[in-house]
Amino acid sequence: MTSMTLTTTLLQASDLAISGDGVTIAPISFTLEAGQRLTLLGETGSGKSLIAQAIMGTLPAGLSAQGALEIAGKRFAAAEPATRHSLWGRTLALLPQEPWHALDPTMRAQAQVAETHRFVAGKTAPAANEAASAELSRLGLAQALNKLPGELSGGMAQRVAFAAASAAGAPIVIADEPTKGLDAPRRDEVVELLAHTPNRGGALLTITHDIEVARRLGGEVIILRQGQVVERGPANVLLNHPETAYAQRLLGAEPSRWPDPPSFTGSAQAPVISADALRIERGGRELFRDLSVSVRPGEIVGVVGPSGCGKSTLGDILLGVTRPNAGRVDISREMPRLGRQKLYQDPPAAFSPHWSLTQLLEDLQRRHRFEQRAIAPLMQRLGLNEPLLSRRPGEISGGELQRFAILRVLLLKPRFLFADEPTSRLDPVTQQQTLSLLVELAREQACAVMLVSHDPALVEKVCDQTLTLAG
Amino acid sequence: MISRANQGLSHLLLSRLFQAGLVAWLVGTLTFVLTRTLPGDMAYRIAAGRYGHDMVDGAAAEAVRAELALDQPGLSAYVGWLWDLLQLDLGRSLVSGRPVIQELSHQLGHSLSLAVIAVLLSLLIGPPLGLAAGRKPGGVLDRVSEVAASVLRALPAFAVGLLLIMLFAVTLGWLPAAGHGGTAHTVLPALTLALGLAAVSSRVARNAMAEVSHSAYYAFSHTKGLSARQSFWRHGLRNASVPVVAYLGVQFVYLIEGVVVVETLFAWPGIGHALVHAIVARDVPMIQGTALVMGLLFVLLNTAVDITCYLLDPRRRRA
Amino acid sequence: MMPAFSSSSTASRKASSPLRRYFTSLTVRQRWGAGLLLLLLAFAWLVPWLSDADPARQQLTRILQAPSLAEPFGTDHLGRSMLARLASAIQLSLGMALLSVATAAIPGVLLGVMAGWRGGWCDRVLGSIADACLALPGLLLVLLLVAIAPGNFWALYVGISLVLWIEYFRVVRARTQALVTSPQIEASRLLGFGPVMLFRRHLWPELAPQVFTLAAFGAASAILAMAALGFVSVGLRPPTAELGLMMIELLPYYHEAPWAMAQPIIVLFVVVLSLNLLAGKDPR
Repeated sequence: MTSMTLTTTLLQASDLAISGDGVTIAPISFTLEAGQRLTLLGETGSGKSLIAQAIMGTLPAGLSAQGALEIAGKRFAAAEPATRHSLWGRTLALLPQEPWHALDPTMRAQAQVAETHRFVAGKTAPAANEAASAELSRLGLAQALNKLPGELSGGMAQRVAFAAASAAGAPIVIADEPTKGLDAPRRDEVVELLAHTPNRGGALLTITHDIEVARRLGGEVIILRQGQVVERGPANVLLNHPETAYAQRLLGAEPSRWPDPPSFTGSAQAPVISADALRIERGGRELFRDLSVSVRPGEIVGVVGPSGCGKSTLGDILLGVTRPNAGRVDISREMPRLGRQKLYQDPPAAFSPHWSLTQLLEDLQRRHRFEQRAIAPLMQRLGLNEPLLSRRPGEISGGELQRFAILRVLLLKPRFLFADEPTSRLDPVTQQQTLSLLVELAREQACAVMLVSHDPALVEKVCDQTLTLAG
Repeated sequence: MISRANQGLSHLLLSRLFQAGLVAWLVGTLTFVLTRTLPGDMAYRIAAGRYGHDMVDGAAAEAVRAELALDQPGLSAYVGWLWDLLQLDLGRSLVSGRPVIQELSHQLGHSLSLAVIAVLLSLLIGPPLGLAAGRKPGGVLDRVSEVAASVLRALPAFAVGLLLIMLFAVTLGWLPAAGHGGTAHTVLPALTLALGLAAVSSRVARNAMAEVSHSAYYAFSHTKGLSARQSFWRHGLRNASVPVVAYLGVQFVYLIEGVVVVETLFAWPGIGHALVHAIVARDVPMIQGTALVMGLLFVLLNTAVDITCYLLDPRRRRA
Repeated sequence: MMPAFSSSSTASRKASSPLRRYFTSLTVRQRWGAGLLLLLLAFAWLVPWLSDADPARQQLTRILQAPSLAEPFGTDHLGRSMLARLASAIQLSLGMALLSVATAAIPGVLLGVMAGWRGGWCDRVLGSIADACLALPGLLLVLLLVAIAPGNFWALYVGISLVLWIEYFRVVRARTQALVTSPQIEASRLLGFGPVMLFRRHLWPELAPQVFTLAAFGAASAILAMAALGFVSVGLRPPTAELGLMMIELLPYYHEAPWAMAQPIIVLFVVVLSLNLLAGKDPR
């Protein structure tokens, strides 16, 4: 920052507000000078992405923006979105959510970057190709020039999208949830990539739900909740000493700050399930070999590793859904027939959307004849109330549905539960509530849990034992 | 990569070749069953049709009987029937007495010219209209073309043809109603077929384009700085045309069926017309020949669609 | 064989049976289609009941008479009542369509679920049979069958059903394949539910709307195919009142009685349009 000799205002929003279609974003003002970075932090539904869209002029139909914008020295009325279109690519670069979907599935990586060089920056075709291949090589994608988006990993696609969006040298970069769906190492790579812009004298506006991203980017942070600014300040101050109750709750939901779970006392007991020297191949590729693990009643075992390393396959083997290519699985003799259960990553995908929760509970009761009385206390523990049950899975929140899934599974008194990233689609506060409940109940019911996660900090906090799978 | 790509294409061609074999077998078997269900005096009646009632005698009937292998036991006749088919020996027409192959070679040319003109015409009308409508879903053009497509889809090809004849030939007198000759004769039958094809392809193109214009990559191509025109030509057109071309394969079913009806309506001397005539006259060798050629044409057109999709969509080359 | 939806008391109490929800969720287009279809049905079955006109009775003294009070739709070239003939033709078309759709849908759905669920050789065998039936364009197959048994209603019906079942099979198979490996079915299986419950709770609610749409489109195709065959004179034989046949019979009298010629075209258009509207979105 000290190397900057001149401070110029690149992006200024004055009383920028959004309304319409049941959405209200209260007026917000901020200034981004050259070399500065600003992060909008908030949970799903806080309206943070709409602010990016209002600046770009891409709000969905039915929503309109008010207030004034000053972009690279020019003033714009926020209510006239079309006026910013001429800035796209040249002054304003938008790094989209889910880069996989933002790249043309039928065009090679190099061509997608080269076309910005050619049509936006005005280079000749050979010069544009050369610039694209140089830029992609610099980002470590020399091997991927001729690949189609479907052949790229999420992290690679994000780098291609970054190169394509910033090829015309726009000084202002807006990144909308740039780390969504990436695991921790990939996430840190993207953060580093984003930091290039302010380091070269540009301005960076990042929108994220990930506190770690905000922390690593530094600069100024604004915490949003339901369209309102809750708190703002420099990252190192705000993220370490939040003043408002909501900010404290949000930051407290970071796994490293969670209270310790009740301690595990059953280490002397015999394992409920143990795997010995497992080897697994999928599609001609060996996922892992010589994998041995055992889980005791009430123990929480964490499983971490990059995507595609076979975490879910390990679960299928332990659940008895598929067989390993080699090795064996031993199950405790007391294991009932349906004693092995699973929690799913995406709660709505684990339910048929057509039936009410009451109907699903009745089905389960009719099938297993457990006592009706067992339901109410467990529901209370899980924070589920009676009126909720009359709705269908799509009509309640992801957190509520995941707690209902836990209820359904626990009614069968399982001995082993494979939880496949059960909270990765939930907001941080909900994630903490759901996981701490799961741990508590597992300890009480002496149910062994295998918890898959992409967040090493979370696993370290919650689990008694960690299994790391290599890629 | 290259060997894998070729493997994809050769697999594709192989399965189409298999389909061609299946078509030949199905047509052969069904027409064989047909010969066996002909009533007893069929040979006599057919001979009467061929040589005239006065000329017919036992010998002529016998010749017909031999031609259709009506005198042999079932299985050996069936094997012989398929063997002839395999050698492309389709026999002689029972009506005209000329070799079926010779008849077909004339008719095929007529049918092909009609089909090609109809497909080209439909491609000029349908997809451009659909793409334009899909760029603004819910707009005026979208609604108007939707109503037009719904009306056309509810009218069978022969009704569309009849309406066109009434309008352009009978009422306005601009074009000939039926027959075969110059360009003027081609307009109405080709337009009849083309309208039916375009009614569907315009909606497929519209849906494909609407999907593309709502996609994240289309939005990104805009925010990257490309103009609306550049985005459309570089990202919209190819992605939208993949489903349109793939759907052409389904549409060729309609084309083949349409050819039968439209040729009959306009007395167009093509294969479809010949097939209907052969069925009415129970001219078994001609039924077999025309059905076979139409079936194989269908396979050929689908192969062309496969190859186009393959060239258009690089994902298929990698898969 | 399909589970009854309202048999479960709770389902009806909560009014959440998928089928019922489906019918209340019909779009405006679909409601128009249903309304038109009901009008056609009423016309086809009320006319013979209210008037004693026989669709086959010829009265050569009063041919091609314009619509009047006595003959609201006029008479054809043989003096037959157009009103009675149209009603009879609609009955024939819709009856045939219903029959073909039922015979195509039931095996199509059952085999599709079987192939999608079991996979392996069962899937391969059934898939090959379906591919074989599709190798020839549908109308060609029907034409060959019709050639074997000319003018026979049953040959027509078997041929059309043979072509139609494949669409149900393909759509149902693809959907079942996707669902069988889905988390929702795996979860229910781990909870101990058997195949009947899995079908009822997971498969059928997803399949029903698509099967319904295919049935409506299939009915329209069956009606069009029958009319096309009648039109090229290889379908049903005169004096049957059939829409395609009526068109070709009246074609020579276009100049004298354009209104007569127009009637079967309009009726066919309305029948097919009502079914297409009812079908909603094409799932293919």
